[in-house]
Amino acid sequence: MTNRLRHKLLRRLQLRESWVIFFVVGFIMMNFPFLQIFNKPGAIFGYPLMFLYFYLGWAFSIVVIYVFTLAVSHTADKSPENPKP
Amino acid sequence: MNSGFAHAAIISTLYTTLIFLIAWYAHRRKETGRSIVDNPYVYSLSIAVYCTSWTFYGSVGKAATTGLDFLMIYLGPSLTAFSWFFLLRRIVRISKENNITSIADFISLRYGKSLWLGALVTLISILGIMPYIALQIRAVSTSFYLISGFQANRIHIPHSGSELTVPTGLLLALILSVFSIIFGARRLVSSERHEGLIAAVAFESLVKLVSLLGVGIFVTYYLYDGFSDIFTRFHAARPKLFEQLFTFGAAGNDPDYVPSFTMLSMSMAAIMLLPRQFHVMVIENSDEGHITKAMWLFPAYLFLINLFVMPIALGGIMATGSSSGADFFVISLPLLSGHGTIALLAFLGGFSAAAGMVMVESVAISTMLLNYIFMPVIVRFTPQSWFPYLLINLKRLGIFLVIFLGYFYYRIVGDTYMLVNMGLISFSAACQFLPAMLGGLYWKRGNKSGAITGILFGFLTWTYTLLLPSFSKSGWLEPDLLTKGPFGIGLLKPTELFGLSNMDLWSHSLFWSMLFNVSAYIVCSILLRQDEPEREQIRRFIGTFDLERADHPAETKRLSKPVTISQFVNLMAKFIGEADARQAITSHLGDREIGSDGSVSEFELPNLKRFAEKTLAGSVGAAAAGAIVDSFLSDMGSRMESVYDIFSSVRTSLDQSREALYVRLKASEIINRTLDIQIIMDDLLSLLLKEFKLDVAIIQLLNVSGALAVKSYQGSNRRPINQHHWFMENAPYWDMALFDRKPHFVNDTSQIGATINLEQTLAEGIVSCAYLPIFREGEPSLGVLAVFSKSITGIFTEEFISLLCSLAGQLAQAATIVREMEAKEHERNEKEQALLEKARVMRDMEIAQQIQISLLPDAAPETFGMDMAGRCISAAHVGGDYYDFFKRDDHTVDLLIADVSGHSVGAALIMAEVRTLLRAQVNSANSASAILQLLNSQLYDDLTRAELFITMFYAKYNSATGRLSFANAGHNRPIISRDGEHSCIELDTEGLILGVKTSVMFEERSFELKAGDVLLFYTDGLTEARNDRDELFGNERVCALLGTLRHMPAREIIESIYTAVKDFTASETFQDDISLVVLKIL
Repeated sequence: MTNRLRHKLLRRLQLRESWVIFFVVGFIMMNFPFLQIFNKPGAIFGYPLMFLYFYLGWAFSIVVIYVFTLAVSHTADKSPENPKP
Repeated sequence: MNSGFAHAAIISTLYTTLIFLIAWYAHRRKETGRSIVDNPYVYSLSIAVYCTSWTFYGSVGKAATTGLDFLMIYLGPSLTAFSWFFLLRRIVRISKENNITSIADFISLRYGKSLWLGALVTLISILGIMPYIALQIRAVSTSFYLISGFQANRIHIPHSGSELTVPTGLLLALILSVFSIIFGARRLVSSERHEGLIAAVAFESLVKLVSLLGVGIFVTYYLYDGFSDIFTRFHAARPKLFEQLFTFGAAGNDPDYVPSFTMLSMSMAAIMLLPRQFHVMVIENSDEGHITKAMWLFPAYLFLINLFVMPIALGGIMATGSSSGADFFVISLPLLSGHGTIALLAFLGGFSAAAGMVMVESVAISTMLLNYIFMPVIVRFTPQSWFPYLLINLKRLGIFLVIFLGYFYYRIVGDTYMLVNMGLISFSAACQFLPAMLGGLYWKRGNKSGAITGILFGFLTWTYTLLLPSFSKSGWLEPDLLTKGPFGIGLLKPTELFGLSNMDLWSHSLFWSMLFNVSAYIVCSILLRQDEPEREQIRRFIGTFDLERADHPAETKRLSKPVTISQFVNLMAKFIGEADARQAITSHLGDREIGSDGSVSEFELPNLKRFAEKTLAGSVGAAAAGAIVDSFLSDMGSRMESVYDIFSSVRTSLDQSREALYVRLKASEIINRTLDIQIIMDDLLSLLLKEFKLDVAIIQLLNVSGALAVKSYQGSNRRPINQHHWFMENAPYWDMALFDRKPHFVNDTSQIGATINLEQTLAEGIVSCAYLPIFREGEPSLGVLAVFSKSITGIFTEEFISLLCSLAGQLAQAATIVREMEAKEHERNEKEQALLEKARVMRDMEIAQQIQISLLPDAAPETFGMDMAGRCISAAHVGGDYYDFFKRDDHTVDLLIADVSGHSVGAALIMAEVRTLLRAQVNSANSASAILQLLNSQLYDDLTRAELFITMFYAKYNSATGRLSFANAGHNRPIISRDGEHSCIELDTEGLILGVKTSVMFEERSFELKAGDVLLFYTDGLTEARNDRDELFGNERVCALLGTLRHMPAREIIESIYTAVKDFTASETFQDDISLVVLKIL
């Protein structure tokens, strides 16, 4: 079951669209409305809010790309770029 | 002499040597084919050349002054990494295919190999990168001063009274230049990967990461007690500043996100567009697979290197009490806490960061400089053998130039800017390439004029709003320009253009420059047309981009005059050296078909030209390579011509166009509609003339005697084909086509040499012609299809020729089928004819048989005292046997039997003649021998002519005397069966067959017949009848048979003999004519 789910997920991630969506989402997260949310003085466990947002978000995005690259090498049977319409 | 100085100098020298050794080792490994660079980790580390001393020192500086937004510079590239999967891979693929050497090359190639565009990109790169290199020199110099213990930015060495100033910056620039030249410009081929350089850069990336992490850990966990400790202590010490640093624009009251947005966008673009980034990511990429790994390795690198920036910045502020000099906290903090080793480590990290960047950047830009600034001048001269040396030295000069421009900028601008701010000026410049780059990859309409105008506008705006103010601030320009605007026009103030105030310098500049850039690009692209070279490139950059593209895409160009391979090699050798040129051409040609004289087929030539361009592009850039090859061709008197599009529609790929299919369909319709080959040929030619711009089309087919004859002639100026027709001149071509069964064509008759004289054809206005053999696979040619055009040179493209060949093949198929059908028809007719003929002959023969039978006496004359009967049965319709009775008087009867040799009509005719002659003798009283003699002399000539003979037995019987007198001309001797005698009596007499000699004497004898005697005259058919055991009927059997039959009447005797023979041979028919005459004496 988890295997099938993993397979399905990786297959989705092979699509070029997925990459573009994450790219756009990342860009939005780094801009005005989202920054506004975290643009507050204050700290959690002594870490400033904004600092945490940036670094954790960044680390998360790296993990996402890592998962993506796993997907790329997951199944080589189908050309990941240019999914044919 | 300061000990710190010596210390620093020695360490630097040692470190430089180490890098040199690593680079050298990597280079050696590459030479032996075991690259240490060829893996995704080194690739990712080399991309980290993005982190320069700006990152190393400047980030801390920025973090200490404006806070967290320094991160934007690294978050941007991290985001861009998401796009590498489709963007970078695509760029790399295109670049590898075209031997791209730099970003200028890439952009210029997309827009039709425009030299102007390339030069513009180069210019922007050089000017744009100036502050960036200055930044590095400044950072290293300052850090050097710090580490060597001089507080002021001068190193004063007391030396015999006067002070010696060591120009560290200049020295650094020199060292970096030499280093770059050694590893970046050893060879001219720039598309080749520089493994030594990359190894050095990757190592430096590692050093700067370790070094910054080291300092970070030192500060965070040694000087302080972890992250939260720093944050808490800083918050306690300077709550106001804490809030300021960790929020944007002092949160709450109108925060300003514009600067962070600007930095994010600029860094996103810069990671791809900075010349050095393009160089390491695209040109130095050895394997597309590395990109996938680098996509997360590189962001992870950025994450790690920035992890401790904030703690270092905060620690620095707490240690020094202010954020001034924050740029060098990385060094000053360990120094302040008395840890010189850590500081030295930091210095090395900073030095690594700077050196790596300067080397790659200078190599990348010098390549552009050579290709787009020097080459356009050089290509104007005739290529010389010393060109390779000139070019490589120009490239080295370019490296010096780039680094020293940076040095001079550093001298001018000096310390007025923070490190980060200097770097952002460069980022902003690199952003100007973005519209042309992205548009070039994804927007088909984007054109050269749009790209040039856009980049130019963006560049001018950048210069005006960013570069000028940077000079101005350092006091190098009139400060009035900034405060009052040029000529006092406030609206044109460089930092507040058109009244756009309250914006930071970079956002302001980026906004205006991108506005002008993008709009100019779009407007010009929409308004103006693309030219042909551009359209060709668009097909390669955009569109269905897959790996399985055919190796040789259909060419839409042809060379008007053929050029040999060796000429191409000579050309290339003049730019890249003889050895390289030979090696390149050898690997290119591989197993392709080459004529003995080094010529290649006409269709191969454009490929060869493109190959030469590509090879040269690897060294001198795409645009210059194009220019070189073009000028070379024009010197040769050849040029690239547009191939006439036979289908008058754009061909998109190798696929058969719809029109070609239409023509094929039409052709097969014509062929299947009828079996009349003439109609097929005429219609086919009409179709060719109608669908293509052809003027004359002729079909010749081989006739029975093996000569070509014009069978169909369609087109203008029709006139009878004779020896003086212009078409006759083309005989060598059609003979060739007929002989070798390959198409032959001339795409430009004016270029034809003196070998074949086509004067009349030229006079007729024919500019191109093709001859196609009409043949079926594996069979000899049936003829030749010849087509001529009066309007279009170069109409015969590979595609067109193959279409024509296929039509000729279809025609051959049709012709063969028609011929086979005709042959069958003919055979059937002949057979029918023969049958008819035979039937006619049969009928004639039957008639002849009737006539012949009627020539024989139907009954013997009634004569007293004897019973006579005769019968002839022919083996064929007519025969040569003859018997007759002539009654002379009441007592005398003449009997004869004869056999003309053969059973032919001739024999029958002779027999008739014999009868006629004999009838004439009936009333003469000649004896038997005299009659034979007479016959012989009369028939001799006819018999000799007909090559026939006659045997004849002639007898006269007088019933009154009972005497039979007879003469024999070589006939079977008749036999007499006499009552009481067992054996038969043979009537024996001498005589030669008739028709052998002119005059023959026949012996006449006589024999006394008694009552009861039965006399049998017969022809050889009787005795020579054979049974299936190959036995002859024989005389004995005849005699015995006659003995048993002798009591019967003559007629019955004959019938019985026939029956006996039939029984004997067990056959209804006889092999030979059998005639029998029986005379029974009563």
